[in-house]
Formats: sequence, C-alpha cells, structure tokens
Amino acid sequence: MSAEDEQSGWQLTESDPGVFTELLKTLGVPLVVDDLYSLDPASLFEMQPLHAFIFLFKWVGSSAEPTAGQYDPDFPGFFAHQVVNNACATLAVMNALGNIPGLPMGSPLSDLISFTAGMDPQTRGMAITSSDWLREAHNALSPPSAISLDGLGLPKTTEDAYHFIVYMPYMGCVYEFDGLKQHPVNHGPFSESGEGWVAKAREVIEARIATYPAGALEFSLLSLREDPVPRLQAQLAELQASGRQSEASELIVRLSTENSKRERWNFENSLRRHNYVGFVHALLVALAKSGRLETAKEGAKKAMRERAEKRNERGEASMEED
Amino acid sequence: MADPRIAFKAGRLFRRGNTNFIDAEPTKGAIILQNGEDGLLHFMWKGRSTNNVEEDLILFPGEATMVKVDQSAWGRTYVLKFSSSNQRHFFWMQDADSSRDAEFVSNVNRLLTDPQMVPIWSAPGAGSEPSTSSAPVAGPSQAASTSQPGVQATPEQLAQMQQILASFAQGSQQQQQPEVSLVDILTPANLTPLFSSHPELIQALFPYLPPDLPTPPNEETLRQIIASPQFRGAVRSFDQALRTGLLGGLVRGLGLPEEAGTGVEAFLRAIQEQARGEEGDRMDTD
Repeated sequence: MSAEDEQSGWQLTESDPGVFTELLKTLGVPLVVDDLYSLDPASLFEMQPLHAFIFLFKWVGSSAEPTAGQYDPDFPGFFAHQVVNNACATLAVMNALGNIPGLPMGSPLSDLISFTAGMDPQTRGMAITSSDWLREAHNALSPPSAISLDGLGLPKTTEDAYHFIVYMPYMGCVYEFDGLKQHPVNHGPFSESGEGWVAKAREVIEARIATYPAGALEFSLLSLREDPVPRLQAQLAELQASGRQSEASELIVRLSTENSKRERWNFENSLRRHNYVGFVHALLVALAKSGRLETAKEGAKKAMRERAEKRNERGEASMEED
Repeated sequence: MADPRIAFKAGRLFRRGNTNFIDAEPTKGAIILQNGEDGLLHFMWKGRSTNNVEEDLILFPGEATMVKVDQSAWGRTYVLKFSSSNQRHFFWMQDADSSRDAEFVSNVNRLLTDPQMVPIWSAPGAGSEPSTSSAPVAGPSQAASTSQPGVQATPEQLAQMQQILASFAQGSQQQQQPEVSLVDILTPANLTPLFSSHPELIQALFPYLPPDLPTPPNEETLRQIIASPQFRGAVRSFDQALRTGLLGGLVRGLGLPEEAGTGVEAFLRAIQEQARGEEGDRMDTD
C-alpha cells in the first residue's frame, strides 16, 4: 500500500458484483453490476439495457500498453483521475455514472457530480476522493477495522488492487475511461443499428485482450446495466393479468434466478461488514472447553512447518502464509 | 557529557491524514529523556533495531506534558502535549509489563517540569511510598512539591537501566517466525466435528454471527460462514494483528488479560486458562 493509501482513509474493497451493486444502491442509482462471462451477442442481449462494461485486470508481465484509439483532451463529459489506489473501484463507477444521460440518482451523488462540473480530471479526482460520504459508502463494504491495521507495514496478502477501465458510449462514440491515463480515449463512432455501441466495444476489448501473451493477463469483465427486477416484475404482472401462463412461467424462472443472486449478494455483504473478533473468541473457547484446542494447535503447527518446507523446496523466499 | 535520565520502551503513532485516527507504527523503539551537553533537556525517540534517534525534541521546563490518551482502545497510548502550540506526539508502551507505565510517565512529567529533578522509582518489593532520607520542610503536608528530593535510584535500578539502554543497541532478536496461525486452527475440519459432538454449541454461537443476515441463521448458515472467504479473511487479519503484539487493549474486551494480546501463542494460552476457569459452566451436557 502506498503512503497515500495509508493516509487516505479509503479501504481496499473486493471487486465483486455484489459489492458494486450494493454501492450503487447506496448511491441511489437503479443499476446493477454483474459478472460477464462472455461478450457474445446472445449473452449481451440478455443484459440489455446495458450502460457500460467494466474491464478489470491484474497485469502480470511487462508487455507494452496498447495504444488504440485517440486521446480526447476536450472531452466535455465526466472524467476523473485515480488519485488514491484503494478508491479505484469507486472511481471507475463514478466515471461511468457521470456519463449516463438522465440517470436517476440520490442527491449526494448528483450534488457531487455538479460540484465537479468544469474541473480538470486531476482536480475532479481529488474532489471525489475527498468526499467523506462517498468514502464512507465505499468503505461500508470492507471488513470493519476494529483494529487499525493501516500503517503497521504488514505484508500484503495476495488481494492486490485490480486496475479498472470503463468502456461506454458517449455522444455516438465508444469511449474508454482509465483513471490512470491523462484523458479519456475515443475509440471511434458506432452505428446505432443492431447491437449498437456494444458491438464496437466488443471489438475494442477483444483487440486489447489479444495484445497480451496468453496467460499473462488475469482479467474480469463486469456489466453495468439497468436493474432488471422492477421491469421483470411489471412484465410478469402484465402477463399474468392477460392469462399468458407459459410466458409468465418463463419470467418467473428469470425473476427467481435474479432474486436468489441478490440474496446471495446480501448474505455475502453482511458477512463482509461483520466484525468477527467475538466469534473467533467464542469458537476458540469452545474448542478449548471440549479439549480439542491442543490437538488443533499441534495440527496447525504441523501445517505451518509443511508449508515452510514446501516453500524451501521450491526455493521461494519465506513469506507469511497463503 | 549527555546524561540519560529516563529510558523505556515505546513505539510511535501517527495521525491518519486529516482524520482523528492515529495508527500505531510497529517499529520497536524507546523514549529517552536526557540532559544534553547543551545543558537542555532532550526528549528523544530512538529505534531499537537501528539505534537511530528519529526524534530529538528540546524541551524547556513546563513546555510539555505527557498524558494518557483515554480514548485509546489499546489502553497504553500516551501523548506529549505542548502548552503553547498544537504539536502532538503520540507514543505507545512496548514493555510487555504494564505495571510500570504510570511510574515512567510520572517521572517524565517531573523531568519536563524540572530537568534537574531526580526521578522517583519505587524500590523493588517496597509496598508504599519510599521514605525520604531528609526530613521534609516543616509546614502543611501536601502532595510532593518540586522542592522535595525523592529517593535516588538504587544501584540495582541503575544497573537495570544501563541494561535496558544496552539492549536497545542490540538488534531486535525477538522477531521469530510464527509457529502457528489461527487460520489453521479455525478450519471446517476442526470445527465441524465440534458441532457434531456439541450440538448445543450451534445455537450458542448465533449471537456472534452478522446481525443483518438476510434470513435467520441455522446450522447450515454457520457452516457456510466458517467456510466463507470473508470469515477466513477476518481470521487471517486477526492473526496478523495478534502478531504485532498490539492487541492488549482489545483482548481485555474479551475478558482476557492484556498479555493475551501480545501474540498468537499468548492468546491461545489465555484462552485455555479462560476455558479452564469457566469449566462446568456449559459445555458438558447430561
């Protein structure tokens, strides 16, 4: 973690659709984020209306950055620089939300966006990063720091920050918003017919992926789209009212898939917010009272030794555990 | 020749950005108060592994005092406050034994008031106030005034202080590779058999689960949580935090002694003690 991260008060969050969607809910925006496993037309059609793609990657390796598209220094829309690494996920979301015309949103968010009107990307990035309520909304989904682990110089576990890039349409062109680049990148106009901007964005993203050697890039794709549940519910009511039962049952299945996904996200989010110190203590006391703690401890020592031996065999430097 | 007057193990804390949070820096260090060759009182902080003096404040009499930070969960955090400015330096006690904290701080404050003051150390084994060798000035007895000399440090105490100062110069040899991790203890493999043999435990654990679960918890919920990446991540964080030795204040909230917050093994030992103490309370059923 950079010194900036330590001082900034922004905690590192997981890049999970459930986390993003919860953030959107807090911002009062009727959109959801989903994992995208494929960019093929059929999958994307299911996701419409689709507002943006979020491309996230851990870059492993040293190939040169691709340079497709053109910088647009006069971009009139919303673009902010990434000023604090830990805020990267929220910053990407802001760069997307700020460019969706007519998007309903809560007033803290619309106030923040209008506050930054006319600012250059660096200043806008700093303004966003200094927003207390936004930072609190962002931090709400990482583990509570009952103990402040910041600044202790603890070895980082493998969860390093991903880099986030947003691809979306703006005024007839497909744009790329990368908070670490100087300006938004214009990838050219798209045709409204057929799949519209999505077809163009797919081209750009696939071309980008192809420039990395196989296996060098660990990446994910997320979609930012309209929350389908209200629309599905309205459609279902209509179908049931007009007696079209077979279509209605199809919709019931889709709705129930959406709802179980939301329930899983809510479950995971409540797990993310929880302080487990009391639980850990209770579990250990229970192990002790039932006479199992010593054995568990011996087993744990053995596991630690075995891992250290394996690491030595592989010639790796000694690290803290997995 | 610089003359060290007080020395004790302490770490530093720094303010986090513009917030009111202060975060501990784990570096092992020491606070040393010393009458310098310049005739002035130096309040220094030095790293015990590097032996470098990182802070060297020259303090005039009455300029600063050292005060306990009550809001600190850690419990052994102190701040050096200045009477004429907003300057603040935060420190945390690093000696595993906290029984001398108050004594160190009170002597620091005596020196900060009067650099020629002789610190008062309670003689080892002595119960109450050590008696002074000179008769007090006649007059109403009050709390020790600055003109009353205290007891000189005994030769043993001086030797002890020399030893502490010498050990500061040695590299920190207490860094050991961790031998055991909570992550390997709180595994489904260890916990599932526990639930099978003590089913009443399941209900007893519900109050410790997240309060905002979408549906009320049951046995399956418990198993899911224990296997979840969020729980494992939390155990890993707690394990790391224990290894910093800084959790003395936090573990007291669990009914454990402060010593339990100094490391994973210490924590586990304290838990064994606590479980023994509560024997017969709940676990053994009909």
